[in-house]
Amino acid sequence: MRLAYDTERGALMSGGALETHASLAAMARLDRLEAEAVYILRELTHYARPALMFSGGKDSAVLLHLALKAFAPAKPPFALLHIDTGHNFPEVLEFRDQRAAEAGLKLVVRGVEESIRRGSVRLASETASRNAAQAVTLLEAQQEFQFDALIGGARRDEEKARAKERVFSHRDAFGAWRPRAQRPELWGLYNRHLAAGENMRIFPLSNWTEADVWAYIAREKLALPALYYTHDRDVVRRDGLLFPITEITPPRADERVERLPVRFRTVGDITCTCPVESFAANAEDVLLETLTASVSERGATRMDDRANAAAMERRKLEGYF
Amino acid sequence: MDGATFFRPTQNWNGEQVRFMTAGSVDDGKSTLIGRLLLDSKVLMRDQAAGLDGDADEIDLAALTDGLEAERAQGITIDVAYRYFATPRTSFIIADSPGHEQYTRNMVTAASVSDVAVIVIDVARVEQGVLRPQTRRHAAVAALMGLNIIVAVNKMDLVGWSQDRFDEVRGAFNDVAGILNIKNIAFVPVSAKRGENVVHRGGPDWYQGPTLVELLEGAPRKQSLATAPLRLPVQVVLRDGDTRLYAGRIESGAVKPGDKVRVGPGAFAATVAHVRVGGAGVAYAEVGASVAVELSEDRDLAQGGVIADTEVRYARRVVADLCWLDENAWVPGRRYRLRQGALETQALIEEIRFVRDVSNLDNVPSSELKLNDIASVQVAARDPILADAFAELPGTGAFVLFDADTNQTAAAGMIREIVQ
Repeated sequence: MRLAYDTERGALMSGGALETHASLAAMARLDRLEAEAVYILRELTHYARPALMFSGGKDSAVLLHLALKAFAPAKPPFALLHIDTGHNFPEVLEFRDQRAAEAGLKLVVRGVEESIRRGSVRLASETASRNAAQAVTLLEAQQEFQFDALIGGARRDEEKARAKERVFSHRDAFGAWRPRAQRPELWGLYNRHLAAGENMRIFPLSNWTEADVWAYIAREKLALPALYYTHDRDVVRRDGLLFPITEITPPRADERVERLPVRFRTVGDITCTCPVESFAANAEDVLLETLTASVSERGATRMDDRANAAAMERRKLEGYF
Repeated sequence: MDGATFFRPTQNWNGEQVRFMTAGSVDDGKSTLIGRLLLDSKVLMRDQAAGLDGDADEIDLAALTDGLEAERAQGITIDVAYRYFATPRTSFIIADSPGHEQYTRNMVTAASVSDVAVIVIDVARVEQGVLRPQTRRHAAVAALMGLNIIVAVNKMDLVGWSQDRFDEVRGAFNDVAGILNIKNIAFVPVSAKRGENVVHRGGPDWYQGPTLVELLEGAPRKQSLATAPLRLPVQVVLRDGDTRLYAGRIESGAVKPGDKVRVGPGAFAATVAHVRVGGAGVAYAEVGASVAVELSEDRDLAQGGVIADTEVRYARRVVADLCWLDENAWVPGRRYRLRQGALETQALIEEIRFVRDVSNLDNVPSSELKLNDIASVQVAARDPILADAFAELPGTGAFVLFDADTNQTAAAGMIREIVQ
């Protein structure tokens, strides 16, 4: 796929054509992925009350950027929704609020804390991971606002269960994913239809890899929360991962706290998201590290998926993203 | 395993991306083959390869792709799984499609997003030159959907790399291909389990041809549709002040300011004033691009309409090949929702011309259409649809049928002839 931007037209028409053509070719893969995601996002006009899941993390930042492009110069016809576990990094929440305001979109935040107060979520302990509880709060928010379509930044390269999910993932009234009853998904002719009470989860980044996301962040010069890049942080070594030390995640008695240069590859609940050692100071550096990484994104950073081999599958069956 | 084994090769950011699917009968070794491709092209991460230590006979490569608990328990693949890997030359997306009969519809899904089909055949299961019914069905679907085919004759190590057995499979497949009119086929003898002729060379002296990965790298691509007639289905009409912008993805052809077009379904003449991508003006955009187009004239064009070249034709009645995907069989006289491009309208299957019997690939008369059937039918649409043949314009020559009551995806259709 080729695009000739107006600014590059001159070069294309002049003696510089060869060079410019080469740079266009180099963009081909990201252009294709972007065009596909924009196409998927424009399919959302079918729904009465769609919302885009926006945590302030890198995938949702890419998703928001794509949504702004898809509907430019108009505003995307959906709200932003964040299910806050109450254990998020403050700088990520700041970034979330700032980006939502810049985009001029309504931001709805619902917290797991509220579900705990209501009694619809009970945690084993105060510091237990709240990832599983997110599904409950999500469904409650969905009912409260009557959202019929939720857009997520999940990618198929992240995890085994995700690799089997459709772009338009149909959910019943309980938000449950039924892998055996998935609708066939042909060409780009998506089946968007819902019965009353059902809803759709939509994943425009399905075909992106972690490297694609970083290449796109670099190309589009997208802002991200600073903790995606190298910074010094107190950590302990736990179960082969670096575990961040914060107020709600203190070290255990036998653990030695170290201060290391780290960055986060994913940003989720503090109690189960771990950084990796890194000196990468910008998106280009991270892209290089990603291309030479030897441990997958979730494997390196997510304690919740390591609980057992089917952890993600089970959470999805219960309505998780 | 040694960490260095899993150092990923530099991804090819400049090259093409080849999307291919895998198909084959149950237990012919599709998932093992994919596991082998991922393992030997060194894209697996250490954690994903954990548990794969051990000698070749013990490695359960299929466990890499059989993602769901339910599948591991039953030892089968339930649904299409998408995988990503790259060689120094090419990047790939694999759609791993199950062979189990009840999930054949998933192969249709995988085929619709693929350029090439890799059909895996267990050499030991081809007896007296007869392919298993599922293999024939998969060949038929790949042919229907216009894919090039690579046949990986698997488990060759179990028959002592017998050239006679390989030739027997090739002969049997070529017989089927002749009936199905498939032109581009390549054959490669492999052992997915032992990793021979998949990424690395191996096996017998009598085979000196390319490995599976080399075949994939050199696979003939679908012809670029950039020079084909323009088809731009309108997904949404955007506004910039008083200006209307028609937004959608170019399914074939290219568009630039000044182009004379027809906007449909009324086929009114119009001129392209501006083309935007992501809000910015562009001088040219082609097939695959998601654009927003401004016209010089004020035309009646809404979501579901099409911006097309000046030769575009519409029809209300077409002959199409249909793959039935729904567990509910077709009900004569029943109206289905038809989606072509961004348009949804009602449609009626007026006549079943024949159903293809996949056991002998004969065309047989039938009055019913049920799950996994492949048929030639006449379809009538309530609103005019693009009269595009799938073979020339796959983006708009394709349609799907939805069941209006259950919302299930009922059928995949490919337009072959225009009736009126």
